Amino acid sequence: MVDVGALAIAIAWVFALYAVGMSLAGAYWRKRDFVASGENASLAVWGLTCIATAALLHALVTHDFNLEYVAHYSSTTLPIQYTIAALWGGQAGSLLFWALLLTSMTAVVLLQNRETNREFMPYVNAVLMTVAVFFLSMVLFITPPFQRLAFTPAEGQDLNPLLQNYWMTIHPPALYLGFVACAVPFAFAVAALVTGKLGDVWIRSTRRWTLFAWFFLSMGNLFGAEWAYLVLGWGGYWAWDPVENAAFMPWLTCTAFLHSVMIQEKKNMLKVWNMVLVILTFLLTIFGTFLTRSGVISSVHSFTQSGLGPFFMGFLALMAVLSVGLVLWRLPLLKSENQLDSMLSRESAFLLNNLVLVGIAFAVFWGTIFPVISEAVRGVKITVGPPFFNRVNAPLGLILLFLTGVGPVIAWRRASARNLQKNFLLPVAVGFGAGLALFAAGIRHYAALLSFSLCAFVMVTVVVEFYRGVRARQAMVGENPFTALVRLVGKNRRRYGGYIVHVGVVMMFLAITGTSAFREEKQITVKPGDTFPLGGYTLRYDGATGRDTPHISYLVGTVAILKDGKQIDTLYPEKRFYKKPEQPTTEVAIRSTLGGDLYLVLGAYDNATSTATIQAYVNPLIGFLWWGGVVLALGTVVTIWPARVAARGPVYVPSRGESVVRE
Amino acid sequence: MKKTTRFLIAALVLVGAVAYLMYTGVQQTAVYYLTIEEFLSKREALADEGVRVAGRVAPGSVSRRITDRGEELKFQLGDFKDDKAAPDRTIPVYFVGIVPDMFKTEGGSDVIVEGTFRGGTLQAQSVLTSCPSKYEAGAPGGAGS
Repeated sequence: MVDVGALAIAIAWVFALYAVGMSLAGAYWRKRDFVASGENASLAVWGLTCIATAALLHALVTHDFNLEYVAHYSSTTLPIQYTIAALWGGQAGSLLFWALLLTSMTAVVLLQNRETNREFMPYVNAVLMTVAVFFLSMVLFITPPFQRLAFTPAEGQDLNPLLQNYWMTIHPPALYLGFVACAVPFAFAVAALVTGKLGDVWIRSTRRWTLFAWFFLSMGNLFGAEWAYLVLGWGGYWAWDPVENAAFMPWLTCTAFLHSVMIQEKKNMLKVWNMVLVILTFLLTIFGTFLTRSGVISSVHSFTQSGLGPFFMGFLALMAVLSVGLVLWRLPLLKSENQLDSMLSRESAFLLNNLVLVGIAFAVFWGTIFPVISEAVRGVKITVGPPFFNRVNAPLGLILLFLTGVGPVIAWRRASARNLQKNFLLPVAVGFGAGLALFAAGIRHYAALLSFSLCAFVMVTVVVEFYRGVRARQAMVGENPFTALVRLVGKNRRRYGGYIVHVGVVMMFLAITGTSAFREEKQITVKPGDTFPLGGYTLRYDGATGRDTPHISYLVGTVAILKDGKQIDTLYPEKRFYKKPEQPTTEVAIRSTLGGDLYLVLGAYDNATSTATIQAYVNPLIGFLWWGGVVLALGTVVTIWPARVAARGPVYVPSRGESVVRE
Repeated sequence: MKKTTRFLIAALVLVGAVAYLMYTGVQQTAVYYLTIEEFLSKREALADEGVRVAGRVAPGSVSRRITDRGEELKFQLGDFKDDKAAPDRTIPVYFVGIVPDMFKTEGGSDVIVEGTFRGGTLQAQSVLTSCPSKYEAGAPGGAGS
């Protein structure tokens, strides 16, 4: 079965090369059947990659330990969901998974556009298949997943217990979906550059793909943070680890891109900037994929050197040179048709939003690769850690938060004093008031005060927008508020979906502010009966008991939570000792409330004296991070949801040879 | 032209602010990242500076005991280049806190230690262990302090 897999990859690789060649030839010599052949080849590549993936999955599920990959990452006792997750758990499998997602998305794009964008599609196909050739090359020549061992071990080495949780089944796929989907807008951008059709057709055709990519980038990053928080037991959710940064940077530029395309659509400005952003986002996804695998930046993810580094860098360089070359070639055609009229305008707010986002991405990039640069320049490796990233990004984040309230509401072109007053007087007043109230309540952390005030400011702008929209509908159509709200959002999905996303973002800022400014931490050695205070509670350690099963030994600590002398809860932080392979893990105990989390870790334990070390944290407002993510997801779904095609409005008539784009 | 110049100035101010933040950020938080050999050769120059050293825990050199302040961990950190059985030189490391799960008491774990070299010992602020050797999608391993 697995030789089928290896063969399938080899044939897929050949077909992918063919697809690139035929698409480009068909475009150049204007031969429609060449282009069609290229598209069919791409579909075949997809089918063959599916077969190869199915072969690997089959080998995993049937425990074919003769295959090195299966022996390394699974075992007979591994639960089925982790056996499947082992598909992306190892180097070779994850690259095949990347190829699977890419070829699947290519197939969808080709099918979506079989009647439209015909001038673009040969180039879109060629670009996507070029990326596919790269990943298939890695899978075929450098890290083949179908490598056989000289013998067949009786049992596999198993997936590391740290990875045997349900996050392993959702975090990597979500992040990969986000990463890979960024290739689609990139492919269309390249097609637009080559064909010279630099209006906003390429943007409108890829809008949903960009949103799709952004959605999964957001979810992937959040799942990673939640995994780190719930499972790894260091009390936090983001460590500015190089691999975290690798996933964060494309998200930042993708967010910038999502916003700046609105300016191009409405005002025909920022064409060069949009090109730069979409190219940068794609390059950052390749860079991010590379960073996770090579030993270039030392990170807890990548302690080993792998042979892939140079190839990734080469591919990255090639794509960068080609894209930049195309942009430079088409620079004259990318001139804006309009100019910035005023600093106080929506265009200006969006532009500033973009600068801040790209600024954060740059700072994160710089901090991440600093060791490499410093070694090259000064011969010694210097690293920067979380203090650097927090110090630089906090002020930028606050500016971004402010703009989140300003951008959607401020007038286009030039905001008059009247417009500013009408839209901003109430939000500014409420924001200011919130700040004062918190100050009066005793909060003296000025950055946090500013952040909370800005959160209030943004929330009021959003609420007012919904309120005005509902009232307008009521005045026009006489609906009850609830129907008005539903219809309002339904008929303006893009706008109100965006507002919902912004609410999610505000919630996440609340959480980030709470945990950054007001977190408490305590490390203590306790005997049964000892108490200690934390976060307004009193915690009492009540001892630890052991429990043994064939696979795992448990050590369960009991900690009583008291408030005002009364016990309100009990938490059970655990230490587990997996027996095969031998591996201790920590099971964190968390008590979540609206105000925050009480988070306990059981450290060392001395049986003789019954003493234990406990690390306890209070993370204020952290629940808003996860719920903010849910709201963000909902908002994105609303924005992306297709409207009914038959509308009672004006019909869009294609002009000047532009193809009709179905919304 | 005037409007564009004004905007350009605003943009430059922002860029300047970011650059300033980054520059001072690096100045204040940068930490040397060294191998054992590099560290040992620079030992005197690095006294009282923050350093990050990567190496492997020498087998049999680990001592752990619970104290009032948390778990006290002492071990020798060595450079096991080319998988040598015993390293040429080692540094004593001292750490108090929660020891990461993946830290093997018998030694042999690959670790990154961040701390200050004082009085002949690397006083560690954090001890990080790695994910198992090959690429594993997702989770960072171990807990720092």
